[in-house]
Amino acid sequence: MLEVLLGNLDLFLFLLFVVLGYSCGTIAEKRHYKSIIKREKELIKLMLVNVEGRFADGAVNESFLVSGSMVVSNDYFKRLLAILRNFFGGRVKAYESLIDRARREAILRMKEEAKSKGAHMIVNLRLETSTIGRSANKKNSVGSIEALAYGTAVVMNRS
Amino acid sequence: MIMTNVGSVPGKKIVEHFGIVQGSTVRAKHFGRDMMAGLKNLVGGELKGYTELLQESRQEAMDRMSEQARLMGANAVVNIRFATSSVAQGAAELFAYGTAVRVE
Amino acid sequence: MKFTPKHIDENVNVSKTHPLAELAWLVGGMLLLALVFYLVLGVTADLAVAKIPIKAEVWLGEYFVDSFEANEDEALRRRLQTLLDNLPAGSSLHKYNFTVQLVKNEEVNALALPGGHIVVFSGLVEQADSENELAMVLAHELGHFAHRDHLKRLGRGLGLTVAAMLVFGEDSAISRLVSNLFLVTESSYSRQQESDADHFGLELLVNSYGHAGGATDFFARVGKKAGSRSPYWLASHPHPDDRIEELQSLISENGYRVEMITPLGDDLLGEAEPEQEPETAVDK
Repeated sequence: MLEVLLGNLDLFLFLLFVVLGYSCGTIAEKRHYKSIIKREKELIKLMLVNVEGRFADGAVNESFLVSGSMVVSNDYFKRLLAILRNFFGGRVKAYESLIDRARREAILRMKEEAKSKGAHMIVNLRLETSTIGRSANKKNSVGSIEALAYGTAVVMNRS
Repeated sequence: MIMTNVGSVPGKKIVEHFGIVQGSTVRAKHFGRDMMAGLKNLVGGELKGYTELLQESRQEAMDRMSEQARLMGANAVVNIRFATSSVAQGAAELFAYGTAVRVE
Repeated sequence: MKFTPKHIDENVNVSKTHPLAELAWLVGGMLLLALVFYLVLGVTADLAVAKIPIKAEVWLGEYFVDSFEANEDEALRRRLQTLLDNLPAGSSLHKYNFTVQLVKNEEVNALALPGGHIVVFSGLVEQADSENELAMVLAHELGHFAHRDHLKRLGRGLGLTVAAMLVFGEDSAISRLVSNLFLVTESSYSRQQESDADHFGLELLVNSYGHAGGATDFFARVGKKAGSRSPYWLASHPHPDDRIEELQSLISENGYRVEMITPLGDDLLGEAEPEQEPETAVDK
């Protein structure tokens, strides 16, 4: 048994990583989504649009730039799925949730910043996505995605 | 669903804002297309397969975005922005976002 | 501006497919593709191999001997020459420039490498009891050369590995998986190939010694200890008992005589016996 294990160490390590990546990745993702949904509900009252917005004279007390970002890494299992999917073409479903999480988290962080500064709304939201490192799914480099959200937070004069 | 990339729907009045809606999809090209593109790279010119694929994916991102807007009860999405990024080698993300509104 | 906050529970941006289901589909598709490719490659390799001139094969073989650090073994060489001398004049094997090497290794095995290189592991020589038994093994390997089996297996395994490397890149996990998987399983011959080589070996043995004594000894020994350690030899070959049966039916069919076997020559007895001819010493 040990002999077989040592003989195919590569293969066993590979399988171990896949299983590890899948179990840990799934748990982390579930937990993250739970917290995202919870915080989204808390912050839902804060108005967020990507239009410029028109304000009457004297309605705005203060306005400033707010931003939030998150870098998320793919796990071994997702990478395997993506590599296989790369061959057949089509939707890379493994990465969809990854980007979705990163983007929603970035928006939440931006909203949290705005709220802590007492803003009533965020206008002109912009979203950016970028890969960190040239080779995002090469074997020996870290594959990661950054999502960035930024916008103008507005504090209204409400007396 | 009315879609515009200005802050309003020209000629109509926005009565209600619902917030940000977004749609995204990650797509990869299949091996055959990759190879053809590699060959095409030698002589230049349009990569028809890729144009088609990206167009298709962008449409899907739009569809997902308008589906979100529909779920919110909106009848228009304004100020739509597109973004394309390569999230991984050989895979591209097509992303669309805008503000869901209800117009008269 | 009126703002109505809405929270959507449904997530339209993430596909509903379960990741494990997707993995199953992808791996299934991949295996199917590999299977089709493998079958096509197998047929082409089999067809092409017969056309490769022996000269080209000898040139190819130069690359393989480098991986075995051993020199030509004189004692084994003489035995091989005896067998070669007894080949029919028209045999294609005469075009080869055979070399036979003894490699220090516990495995009870012998290999046929492209270009007419035969490698015998010292474990086999230590266990062999008679000249006839050893001759049968050598003749069996010659049988593989005569049918060009060694090229066929290389053709498939190499083709598949190269294809995987082209598709996934040289150092990706998948390429390594494929090369591990296929270069290992492909290092064995099919049952049919083994049994053809046995036929060839038996005929050559009878031609050289005038009788079929010792033809089945080797398989009998391997069969007896089959339970203990799973040796390489067993994994890649048909069950020894089946081969003995087949050989015996061949012997009786052709009316070959089975006579006394010749004990193993002193020059191959290794360390156990004092060396009588220093220039033919083994394992030193």
